[in-house]
Amino acid sequence: MDQRFLKPSVLAAISGLELIAKTVVDGFVVGMHRSPDFGFSQEFAEYQAYTPGDDLRHVDWNVYARTERMYLKRYRGETNSPLTILLDASNSMQFGSHGVNKMDYARYLSASLFYLALHGQRDAAGLITFDDEIRDYIRPSTRQGQLHRLLAGLEHAEARARTDFAKPARYFQEFLKRRGIVLIVSDFWESPESVVKTLEPLRINGNEVVLFHVLDPEDVRPALNGPSILVDMETQEQLETTPDFTRKEYRERVDAHIADLRDRTRGAGMGYSLLMTDRPLDDALREYLTLRGGRN
Amino acid sequence: MGLFAPWFLAALAGLGLPVYLHLLKRQTSKPKQVSSLMLYESRTQASTRHRSLRYFLLLSLRLLMLLLLIVAFANPFVNRNAASFASNRLVLLVIDNSFSMRAGTRLNDAKEAAMGVLAGKGAAHGQVAAFGSQLQFMTQAIEDQAALRAAVQAVQPGDGHGNFGEMARAVRAMAAALHTPVELHLFSDMQRSALAGSFADMTLPSNVKLVTHPVVTKAQPNWTVESVDVPGQVWGKDAKPVHARAVIAGFGTPAAQRTVSLAVNGKTAAVKTVAVPASGRASVDFPALEVPYGFNRCEVKIDSADAFAADDVRRFAVERSDPQKALLIHNYGDSRSPLYIGAALSAAAQSAFVLESIDVNEAADRQPSNYAFIVLSDLNTVPQLLENSLTGYVRSGGNLFIAGGTSAGARLQIPIFGARISETRDYSRVPDRFMSVGSSDSSFPAVAKAEGWPGVKFFYALNVDPGDARVIVRLSDQTPLLLEKRIGEGRVLLFTSGLDNLTNDFPLNPAFVPFIEQTARYLAGSERQGGARTVDAYLELRNAREQGQGVEVTGPDGKRPLTLGEAATAQSLQLTEAGYYQLRLANGRQNLVGVNADPKESNLDVIPDDVMALWTGKGGSGSQEASGGGVATPQKTPETLWWYVMLLVFAAAAAESVLASRYLGTQREE
Repeated sequence: MDQRFLKPSVLAAISGLELIAKTVVDGFVVGMHRSPDFGFSQEFAEYQAYTPGDDLRHVDWNVYARTERMYLKRYRGETNSPLTILLDASNSMQFGSHGVNKMDYARYLSASLFYLALHGQRDAAGLITFDDEIRDYIRPSTRQGQLHRLLAGLEHAEARARTDFAKPARYFQEFLKRRGIVLIVSDFWESPESVVKTLEPLRINGNEVVLFHVLDPEDVRPALNGPSILVDMETQEQLETTPDFTRKEYRERVDAHIADLRDRTRGAGMGYSLLMTDRPLDDALREYLTLRGGRN
Repeated sequence: MGLFAPWFLAALAGLGLPVYLHLLKRQTSKPKQVSSLMLYESRTQASTRHRSLRYFLLLSLRLLMLLLLIVAFANPFVNRNAASFASNRLVLLVIDNSFSMRAGTRLNDAKEAAMGVLAGKGAAHGQVAAFGSQLQFMTQAIEDQAALRAAVQAVQPGDGHGNFGEMARAVRAMAAALHTPVELHLFSDMQRSALAGSFADMTLPSNVKLVTHPVVTKAQPNWTVESVDVPGQVWGKDAKPVHARAVIAGFGTPAAQRTVSLAVNGKTAAVKTVAVPASGRASVDFPALEVPYGFNRCEVKIDSADAFAADDVRRFAVERSDPQKALLIHNYGDSRSPLYIGAALSAAAQSAFVLESIDVNEAADRQPSNYAFIVLSDLNTVPQLLENSLTGYVRSGGNLFIAGGTSAGARLQIPIFGARISETRDYSRVPDRFMSVGSSDSSFPAVAKAEGWPGVKFFYALNVDPGDARVIVRLSDQTPLLLEKRIGEGRVLLFTSGLDNLTNDFPLNPAFVPFIEQTARYLAGSERQGGARTVDAYLELRNAREQGQGVEVTGPDGKRPLTLGEAATAQSLQLTEAGYYQLRLANGRQNLVGVNADPKESNLDVIPDDVMALWTGKGGSGSQEASGGGVATPQKTPETLWWYVMLLVFAAAAAESVLASRYLGTQREE
């Protein structure tokens, strides 16, 4: 499949998140060099001791007959790496300087990751939508229809209110009891220190945490015709600034902000990936599969 | 340096507009949404800076562009020495070759003076023109001295009448298309009679500088044959001798005896001596000019013994031919009409027509086509056979003269003419007992010569409905008296009163003879306007019905002035040379015309100095250049700069566009 179908501007012309996700993932997989770690194999991997609550269907009854101990039979393709995406649905995500705004980009990205996880890796996948509080939660699962539920959740994720990581973060712990991969998709317009401090506890539970920093090109390189009045999309505050400032100081500040967030995130043992909305989605998919492979 | 239109500088007030736009108009911008203001800082520009000259360079360019535009409209000029742009000027040499330049060595003097100017013109373009009644360019604007000298030498003496107004008109038209300074050198005898009627007609445009080179400085005495009054035709072998009268004029001459001779076909027929008063005129009568049958070349000469011999002769042509037949049809017993019409035709000087009078009963066996024209006088009845015959005669090109009277008043309609008789007017019952002529069309030759028939009393007239006929004369009560109607190829004249002395006293009036004579000539188509014309006059070659039939013209020099195409289509011919023109017209008639120069050319009086100074635009007596020629005195000539200013305007506009798009367009990343 042509790589151009990974471009956000092309995807924007496709109606339906499922089709978008399928297009992206198929395009990505076909274009990728196949790795033995990323397959659909039913090859035996290990035995795991039964703990109450485990699915009895996975108990190896032959071993129980011989040893009278209950073990769960695990296969390579069924390594337990549930994927949970924390999607920032604040107002700032609605900003876009071209055909695809950050919210759209985040939806395409999330849908593609869900498709890849559920159909490709047979991982459970779940979604938490938040702004200054938890807006929606879809429990990670591999059940029939899970993808449709997730995509519907993405469709209903309306950008509103403002981002506040501190407030919803305490609930994240309750939803993320099982170890897995946690991807936070946001524009992270908050101090890097606060962001890392808030999200760091997710890592402590053994989760692989990755921050997908979604930014519009104009977030980094704003274009002003002259002295302009700027309005914050979340707070509606106004501020007058000049092109001279945006051309020099602002860029330096943005670069510093991104570098700071990246460094602090990696310093805390989390992953970081900067995604510009005019760039293809494959970077994010590759990041996910790298994490997924590391957990096998 | 100066401005041709300084009042445009008032538009400088408009320069305030861009200043207002740049200085006072506050920048307004629509608030722009961003994801977060977290990393932004307020950098509000100071108010004074907002209102300052935002784009000083842009403003400067806009102001400069407006300023240049205003200056361009004010039309600036610089005074430049004419010699400094010699290569841009045109030296136009106009040599007068009108008839008066034949006097003495005037034309040669003019050519020599022109050669002198050509020698000193330098690198400027030159153009040579001859000037008689019209300006005739001999060359294009060229630098080739040899070609210009040859053109000057090629100027031949002409016979036209000089007209400075016509010359100025042609120069104005030429200068309007040139846009370069023109130095007009006029080589002429500066005849006073060549001045235009209005001085405004002689004004020259601002880029034309007139330099006159008079070949004479004062008037010279001159005698001339000013005019010859003689009929152009005589009829029949028994015609009365032709009477010729010549007028001898002297211009600036003392009283003197002059010998005048009349020559016919080269042979002197009579010689007389006349005393011409000082600067006056004298008439010479030749009572018995005998000419043979056919066309005769005649001329009157004087022994003027002055410097201008060319105007001592005046040519004219006389034709002798058989008289034409005319038919008068009248009522039986009517003896008055034949009497008056016959007497009038025979009293007319040349006896061009022989009138045959018959009563209506004898008319049946007459062939109408044998007659030049036919007169129906007060017929109460017209036999059908005669009416049909006359109608066919008119339709095929014959001409009819119908007179109404008391007998004709009994009819309901005028025969052949076709007009309905609405009533009869008997003016003997009105208080004055008669009616006079009210209005008349003086363009009709029969009426023009009679000057409106003053004093003629009409007692009776038919009131007819003119329809599509042309009404030439009306009585005071608007009753049509004389009408003309074209029927087929011919024409019919209707006189609504009688040709006797019962219905009017016209036959007893002196106007009757010229009326009958001119009417006869008009109907017979033999109007010959004398045998003499003036140079530059036009001669009618054909009328509207004679298209496509060739004419043949032989000029005084024996050559044919018309091409084959012109001979087949030209309506008229301009007589450009003095001498005898032989013509065969489109209607087949032969003609011979003697052409003479305009008598005004014989008056060699020169234009007064004050008029010359006014024309050349210089005060004082130093206005005229030496006739010896040479380069004109260098003069300051204003040269307009608007074209250069407009180029600067375009440059400023281009720079403004570039800068404006740079400043006002979207600021992009480098």
